[in-house]
Amino acid sequence: MNERDANIDIVFRNGLRDFEALPPPGVWDDIKPLIKRKQRSYILISTAALIAIVFSLSLLAYRWSREVSTGLNFNDMAQAGEDVSPVIAPSAQKILPVAVNETIMSRASSLFTGTDTQVINESAVSEMDDAPIAFSSGRTFNIGNDSENSLNDAENSLHEPLMKIFNPVQKNSFEILTADQQYTPDITATKSPERWSIAAMASPTYYSKFGIGSDDISKQMSSSEQSLISYTGGVALSYKINKRFTVQTGIYYSSIGQQIDGIQSFGGFQPFSNSKGGHNFEVLTTNGTIFTDNSDVFLQANSGSRVITAYNNDVFDPQKANLQPLNNTLYQDFNYLELPVVLKYKIIDKAVAFNLIGGVSYNFLVNNDVYTMVDGGKYQVGTTKGLNSFTLSSSLGMGMEYSFTKNLSLNLEPTFRYYLNPFSGTEGSTIHPYSFGLFSGISYKF
Amino acid sequence: MSEIKKIINGCLAGDRRDQELLYRRHASKLYAVCLQYSGNDEEARDILQEGFIKIFENLNHYKHEGSFEGWMRRITVNTALEKFRNRHNLYRVDDIDTLPETEADPDNRDYAGLEANDLLGIIRELPPKYRMVFNLYAIEGYTHKEISQMMKISEGTSKSNLARARTILQRRVGSYTGLKKQVVNE
Repeated sequence: MNERDANIDIVFRNGLRDFEALPPPGVWDDIKPLIKRKQRSYILISTAALIAIVFSLSLLAYRWSREVSTGLNFNDMAQAGEDVSPVIAPSAQKILPVAVNETIMSRASSLFTGTDTQVINESAVSEMDDAPIAFSSGRTFNIGNDSENSLNDAENSLHEPLMKIFNPVQKNSFEILTADQQYTPDITATKSPERWSIAAMASPTYYSKFGIGSDDISKQMSSSEQSLISYTGGVALSYKINKRFTVQTGIYYSSIGQQIDGIQSFGGFQPFSNSKGGHNFEVLTTNGTIFTDNSDVFLQANSGSRVITAYNNDVFDPQKANLQPLNNTLYQDFNYLELPVVLKYKIIDKAVAFNLIGGVSYNFLVNNDVYTMVDGGKYQVGTTKGLNSFTLSSSLGMGMEYSFTKNLSLNLEPTFRYYLNPFSGTEGSTIHPYSFGLFSGISYKF
Repeated sequence: MSEIKKIINGCLAGDRRDQELLYRRHASKLYAVCLQYSGNDEEARDILQEGFIKIFENLNHYKHEGSFEGWMRRITVNTALEKFRNRHNLYRVDDIDTLPETEADPDNRDYAGLEANDLLGIIRELPPKYRMVFNLYAIEGYTHKEISQMMKISEGTSKSNLARARTILQRRVGSYTGLKKQVVNE
């Protein structure tokens, strides 16, 4: 007899070929919410990706349009003359009061229109007939009898309007600056810039992970796990190295979590527990194994084999023991203290500035618990074993900074973060979480 | 675009009606598979539910090559196999020698009159290990080597389980047909 075609095999193969059976009612109702939940996280990631793409494209378009307009300005300036770099004479320390300034401005402008060169020797400045005039280019001219010639030389060489500034230290001294310098005085010459800033930042964060195995148990675990929207908040301290680069550090507190569906929890197990000092249940999760430390809790997987226990279906029935059903979901919660070191590069330096942000963060596990929810309150179940107490994450983001006063600014930083070392210290674990966060906060420069 | 392709695309886009349509169209066929691989209705229901969740989760991996029904059936069988692997330590394999002897001749090839429901009833009475091997080999067409890898058993065990399953089935089928003939003749 052919092994493959044994008669009994053919009987069953043919007999069951087109067999159909009506499934029990309610199966679809149980499947429906599970599919919906899966798609919700897919939609969330898609939305975040879409926002990031739109944001990046807008930024590129804005930069491009800005570069085009800047290029045009440079052409205009090149036609006006090349020696336009503003230089402040070392003796320039104070600008004249407005009234005097205006007088001098009008005179300076009339000087260049050729209508009234002698006004410079009139009452307000008559005593300064022989005083030297310093041009913004650094050259000095005397406005005595030969002042017209000297100034004409200056006019010819600079091709730009000049004005005189009184130097109170060096009596009888005026300096002539370009109009450009007058209208946009360089504050840095008189006051040191605010290099330090401190910011309070917070962010809702969506976590997910790479590296989930393809074996059945990994799939089973990941299909029942869903990241919770987490929160990160803290204080950041920044130091502006130069106009473009800023280094930032700080301290953040973050809460990361996930919910594990399909694990039924019951209360009131204490009288039936025979374990002495040990844990009664273990639950396999992609982040590590949950060990129960509450001896009053009984856990049961709705399907699969994620719950490991001596109290399995064969030896204990929670319904028969009249245990109190609590919830069908467990929650894993991990809290970290994060020390980021971030470098910011300012790509657009305007009232609304844009930064590229990249760096690393040292994360220290400070709290780890597993609980379920009963009537809106937490019911402690246990902890997750095998977590790394220290993780290193890298971050990449885009920062937007809007200065609404000289010292205060509003920050918005969409950030992607990837954990470089595995979340769990379990041997062979390759779970690398990643997150999208939208940090926002207020910073103060000093 | 074929109708099934439209339904699959609708499911991938999250269209609830297409998802339900897919379920309604194929649930009874797949539930029959679940019954065949399970010892009781509750287990069959679990396999169907988990199998469909996996089908929806993996729809994006279906390449529209080959039969869609075959693809869904493979997922369902794998789900049943997964459940079996998770539970197999709990199952007790009946000793073949303790099975009741039947009056029917095991070599009697006259199996006429057996309906699908009868066959299903007989196959579900098999001990889980035998049932699984018989289903994978005789119904799905896997080789002993493949079965040994899927069930994490040796090829020899797979062969021996199949032989035992056949013996039990032959006895029970014989008994069943004999009983049926008796009823008809009376």
